[in-house]
Amino acid sequence: MGESYGYHDAWPKVAEFPVVEAFHTAARKLAEERYAADGRPWSEVVHDRSLQLTRADFEKIEADLLATGHRFEASALVSFKEEPEKYNAPAGIADSGEQATDAQGRRIVGTGDNVFAVPADVEGIARYVSTVDRVMEWLVDGVPDDTIAVIDDSGGTLTAPILGQFKAVVCMGGTVRSHLGILTREYNVPCLMNATVDGLVDESRVSVEYSKPAADAYADATAAEAQRARILELREED
Amino acid sequence: MPTDHTYREILTANQFGRKMGESFYWGCTTRTVQESKLFPVSAYIAGSYLNAFYRYPELLRRVIERTSPEEIGDRARQAGIPINTILTYVVQQFYAGGRQIMLDMGMLRPSDVLDDVLLVYDFVERVLTSFHRNHGHVIPQDANMKNAVHSAQQTERFEAEAIGVTPGDRLHAAFSKFMPAVSTYGFLSHCECRLSFFNHGPYKTEGGHQMLVRDAINLAENDLPWLDGIAAEIPYNNLTAAVIMKDTDFNIVDDFGSFEASPSYDNDNIVALGLYTSDLLSDGYIPVHMDSPEALAELLEDLAERFQRATGELWQLMAGWTRTQMLEAGLLVYSGVGREFAHIAGIYEQDDWWQVDDQVRRFYPLLNDEYGNAIVGELVGYLSLSTQQLSPHHVERFNGGRGEMWTPIPYSVLVDDDWTATVGDMSTGGSDLPPKTGLWQTTQGKLTLEELNRRAREFKPTGWDLRHYDDDTFRKAHPDDRRPFEAIGAMVESGA
Repeated sequence: MGESYGYHDAWPKVAEFPVVEAFHTAARKLAEERYAADGRPWSEVVHDRSLQLTRADFEKIEADLLATGHRFEASALVSFKEEPEKYNAPAGIADSGEQATDAQGRRIVGTGDNVFAVPADVEGIARYVSTVDRVMEWLVDGVPDDTIAVIDDSGGTLTAPILGQFKAVVCMGGTVRSHLGILTREYNVPCLMNATVDGLVDESRVSVEYSKPAADAYADATAAEAQRARILELREED
Repeated sequence: MPTDHTYREILTANQFGRKMGESFYWGCTTRTVQESKLFPVSAYIAGSYLNAFYRYPELLRRVIERTSPEEIGDRARQAGIPINTILTYVVQQFYAGGRQIMLDMGMLRPSDVLDDVLLVYDFVERVLTSFHRNHGHVIPQDANMKNAVHSAQQTERFEAEAIGVTPGDRLHAAFSKFMPAVSTYGFLSHCECRLSFFNHGPYKTEGGHQMLVRDAINLAENDLPWLDGIAAEIPYNNLTAAVIMKDTDFNIVDDFGSFEASPSYDNDNIVALGLYTSDLLSDGYIPVHMDSPEALAELLEDLAERFQRATGELWQLMAGWTRTQMLEAGLLVYSGVGREFAHIAGIYEQDDWWQVDDQVRRFYPLLNDEYGNAIVGELVGYLSLSTQQLSPHHVERFNGGRGEMWTPIPYSVLVDDDWTATVGDMSTGGSDLPPKTGLWQTTQGKLTLEELNRRAREFKPTGWDLRHYDDDTFRKAHPDDRRPFEAIGAMVESGA
């Protein structure tokens, strides 16, 4: 039996994410072609650096996927900034226009998992923090008073130099165990993680239920929903 | 031709690989997903795995030529140098991650790089086993998420030296200000990852309290090139806080060095604390400004301000980096976890650990944010890559699926299956990051790299030859023998 260079798998599975399937399938095919063209046994070709896939090969694999119309989802701000042609633009803030209201008629503009309980709910001005420029501005000039920072990053680095200056935080991602959750707890800055916001307007006055018990990370779906703290939009009369 | 490796070696490696994969799955799926708007985190993680795959075998071989894995584990436990569970544990995980990606891309087969796999797995298991010898396990997950690293005499020393605090007093307030400052700085300096922190314990203390030992490492000017200048005013590279808590049960202290407590950790429950520094040139843990509560409070207040200042300066530097620089910084922090082994062997070279191997740089076009998130998610969260799937009959330990994280070595290499030994020598490397130009802050002052390596090669802790008396079994059978205390250099003995 001659040498077989292909990817062999008795129990294969398609990757969970299309980008992985596309890249890995393309790499397997290219590697097989290259080794087969050489013709030596696998053990001799597999570590031969002259046969390895090159940067140009990987650039072509990426280009082939982009040519299908696919655009990558960005995580880091710098990724979209440097290569906007390869990434989808960041999504805006959702506003269904169909927010429920509480018993006092205030719009419920979001909910989230409370990192730790404080004695009373917190009122302040919701201000979005989603760019390096804004952090830089507040690092230089100071964070405006009463800022409840609405952050779409559960990490601890984007807002690292100003985190301790926030009155409170609403984070639209992560879990209570995320780095931002850990740090806000250390700073004693009230924080909701994994927040879902709908119609939360930048610079609006809000009250956030930070007095609710800390979210139980092991709660089942029903209990997790019941323990969510609400973000209430305050009106002039509130 | 069959391999020269024994059946026993391959059985051991495969068992260890499975144990580590299961542990990593639990850790990665229950702790949190790392993300950042500043750094392309998952993309750099994927890159770091590949860098580990190409570089660790040669780098670890060099370490083993000078010192044994067991001695490294002993030094880490006895002297408090910044080698701990997670920094050792992830050496195997990151290497295995790189191998798995290569397997799934069809550029490697399970029977390839046999010597490399066995070397890396064996090295890590031996360091971990030695480091954890006091609790008799390899990793905390084996111990139902307890990580009691130290012997009785070491923890008694921490307890005896701890300074009492109450909420509202100056020391308590200073510590409450210090912890977030150093934590924020650590996350930033390590590009969003938690590798600068490590907790171990819990240890029972008087009054039914529990002690958690909290390490913060790589704080001053050190290997991280971006800390040159910015960290010049940080006088300690590693700090260890021994924190005694009332009404708190640390029910999980895991393989990542993170913890959960019941009720939740609350600074108001701290009843006593101590602060120490240590490194590979120190004779164990050195108390830091623990002469009085006021002296320690003053230091913590000062350090908090220094860390806040350094955080601001560092953030401004990093925010101006290109994506490639951010990718490489995180990648190198991750794949650099094994560098302390080279430090302790006195053979550390900056380019070994702070250059991305050219074999890895060719993959950059694939390392976009989406692929990064997807490949790391599949690899360590969903266990959904094709190469991770076993037969439809298979049931994974935690999720019941048929995926297992790390592909074992096939036993057919013991007969006549084709196999390869190694990926080969390290390639040249590079990075877009500014090079390291500064000195290294140590407990013996600021040193050049040449001097640091020389001292590391020559250094032997005072109690080193007595280290096997730093053992609870020996002490229990020899209650009047002083050698367990001499082994750790402890000046204070419990009850003395």
